[in-house]
Amino acid sequence: MIGRRGFLVGAGVGVLAVSVPLPALAAGEWEPNVLLRLDSAGGITLTLPRPETGQGVRTVAAMLAAEELAVDVADLRFVQAPGDTQRYGPQSIGGSRSVQQMTVPVRTAAATARCLLVAAAARRWGVPVETCHARDGAVHHRRHGRLRYADLVDDAAAIDPATIEVTLIPRPRWRVLGGRGGRIDARDIVTGRARYGIDVRVPDRRVAAVLRPPWIGARLDTVDDSAVTGVEAVVRLDPATGVQGGVAVIATSTAAALRGRAALRATWTGGTPNADSRAWLDQLAAAVPAPEPFAHTATYRLPLLAHAPMEPMNATAHVRPDGATLWMPTQDPGGHRDRVAAFLGVDRAAVRVEPTLSGGAFGRRFETDFVMEAVVCSRAVGKPVQVVWTRDDDTRHDSYRPMSVHRLSAEVDGSGLPVRRAHDVATWPLSIFPAMPPDLVRLIGDQFPYTVPGDVRIALLPAPLRTGFWRAVYAGQFVYAEECFLGELARRARADQVDFRLRLLGESRLRPVLAAAGERLRPRRGRVRAAACALDYGSACAIVVEADRTGTPTRVVAAVDVGTTLHPSGLRAQVEGCVLDAVSTVFGAQVTVRDGAVVESSFRDYAWARIDQAPDIEVLAVDSGAPIGGLGELAYPPAAAALATAWSMARGEPVTGMPVNRPVG
Amino acid sequence: MYRLRVNGRDSALDVPGDTPLLWALRDDLGLTGVKYGCGVGACGACTSLVDGQAARPCVRTVEECADSDVTTIEGLGGDHPVQRAWVDLDVAQCGYCQPGQIMAAVALLAEDPDPDDAAIDRALRDNVCRCGTYPRIRAAVRRAARIARGGVA
Repeated sequence: MIGRRGFLVGAGVGVLAVSVPLPALAAGEWEPNVLLRLDSAGGITLTLPRPETGQGVRTVAAMLAAEELAVDVADLRFVQAPGDTQRYGPQSIGGSRSVQQMTVPVRTAAATARCLLVAAAARRWGVPVETCHARDGAVHHRRHGRLRYADLVDDAAAIDPATIEVTLIPRPRWRVLGGRGGRIDARDIVTGRARYGIDVRVPDRRVAAVLRPPWIGARLDTVDDSAVTGVEAVVRLDPATGVQGGVAVIATSTAAALRGRAALRATWTGGTPNADSRAWLDQLAAAVPAPEPFAHTATYRLPLLAHAPMEPMNATAHVRPDGATLWMPTQDPGGHRDRVAAFLGVDRAAVRVEPTLSGGAFGRRFETDFVMEAVVCSRAVGKPVQVVWTRDDDTRHDSYRPMSVHRLSAEVDGSGLPVRRAHDVATWPLSIFPAMPPDLVRLIGDQFPYTVPGDVRIALLPAPLRTGFWRAVYAGQFVYAEECFLGELARRARADQVDFRLRLLGESRLRPVLAAAGERLRPRRGRVRAAACALDYGSACAIVVEADRTGTPTRVVAAVDVGTTLHPSGLRAQVEGCVLDAVSTVFGAQVTVRDGAVVESSFRDYAWARIDQAPDIEVLAVDSGAPIGGLGELAYPPAAAALATAWSMARGEPVTGMPVNRPVG
Repeated sequence: MYRLRVNGRDSALDVPGDTPLLWALRDDLGLTGVKYGCGVGACGACTSLVDGQAARPCVRTVEECADSDVTTIEGLGGDHPVQRAWVDLDVAQCGYCQPGQIMAAVALLAEDPDPDDAAIDRALRDNVCRCGTYPRIRAAVRRAARIARGGVA
């Protein structure tokens, strides 16, 4: 379904019909559905249903539409859809679902427009539809020549779509999809014209900086703003309003707001001023379910991770008596709209959410805290307020990936291959769902693709700080532990990591994927070779890593099967990004808590990978033709496990957690 | 009142002297291509040229930069070899760090017109990309060097 006016029936791949009459807007303008607008001046505008956070979803939408409209991406103009899931269908960007969910609606919307234009031309010429075809923004006929779309807009608008047959362009005739296209935002990005949330400039804008709790769970007791000058307002943020609590300083510029914040004096109470992440890890280790283990065992301790997108949290809100407008980077435009409407006690129609470009998200921009801060501040001063988090705020007040402790055990056969497995885990739920049942954690996390029967048992302890979605969510922990353990069993058996896994895969879709990656990166003298796999999001991925004698990765080959590759450069980019996330988290980045507070405060101490740590990465697309699967998170868990296993093989010591090269927690 | 030359134009800034140059550029001069990433000189997202050298406006005050010549991403012209290479190789993911990466690359190529990977890694080591575009950045810097030499059509 793509919305009220473009409601689709029979939305299978192939032939589709469109129901509900589609009225034209005005003479010379035509909206065949909610995603497209064509005008008699030749303009074609695509409304991009989902927000961009670097995953390339705007570009894929543009390619899908250009393909089916028989135009080039460069012929399209773009509008970002406001948050309105009633009109645009699902808009959230998470769970690696965007392209999966968007492909049929966007292709169908564009194909419908094309078929109506072709039908309009055929009627004008008085020839059968089958003798006409669309190409380069015009409908062509062997004898009659061509009619530009611009000249057909009014005729097409008058045709009832229910009376025509809509066909999709079959893959062998694709010109755009599967081709070399780059990001539609690339020019704007390299010239500095790209507008992110932090770049929003609306008339009368005010900027807010927020003084935040100095330790986890601390509540504001007293605040003294007598030393604060040059600001417009100081606003207490009540934790009951959906924010974490604090004091907002609102000024006419960012520098003034930050200066004002620095001059505040506040006292705090409650919370957990003595919290320590090492103790949390010990508590989790003690809570790991403890049935009788098999002969081979290993335990893995995983840390807290912050999202740390390059663009810190921010949102701009203008709350008026009759509603509100928000501009911000968001992974959930419709959800944020609903929550703001509920908070303000207004109908959702009174709240407009304009998603901006987003400087990374990785799960963080599903949260509502930064949005509600802007709403509360704007309501307090009656003007548009942009809340800007500092990097310190962003790093120390995140919704972190939960810590976890995993005990793996296996019974092996004569050649060292596992025949029974057990995976016992202790971790925390996500804060959005504190009562999360262990079965749900298992469903998200346990993606074991090998033919080894076994049990997964999960103990959940209450989370001692805010936790949230982090790229791949629980699979980032579970698959890492499973694959590191498989790597350890192969190491003990002195078996090749690729062959070892191929013998355990059965008839899996992963088999050709792993074989392709292994074929591309053969074992070499003086190097170790490790591998890991993931079967998730409707896609398959194998990572093969080569490392030198110190365990430093020198080369990574990834093979992925997403069914059909729509945007090759984007596919490679997502895998490259996952590999770098894996390099970062396996070799150093973690969040620690001491004396109740997160220690790390910027990229100086949250040790994210730098360019000199980036290995050569090659990505192979192994299209099986299966239904289109997700990709954005897929490669992170196996990449992390393969990197850790290669490190372990090179150094002759087992992996005991993440990161591998320093104490965890 | 402080006077700076920004992207070839004389600019007057009526802000306290200890204002970080970053916020003056973004809030007072509207140059939002200069990105805020950390405010402590640790990520490189705001990298710009001050008197021809790569600098971090988040840790420079307006007073320190008075009478300086500042070039931000907006002042690069749009057709600079580094910008072209970045588009050619589809480097950006979220794109937020890329103005800083590009300005650091511009400064590198001004010093070393044909850097090898080790030189690229050294020059860009303190520019963080959270999306993992580093392999493409390396390739794009090499390509930009070729474009600048007239080696790419």
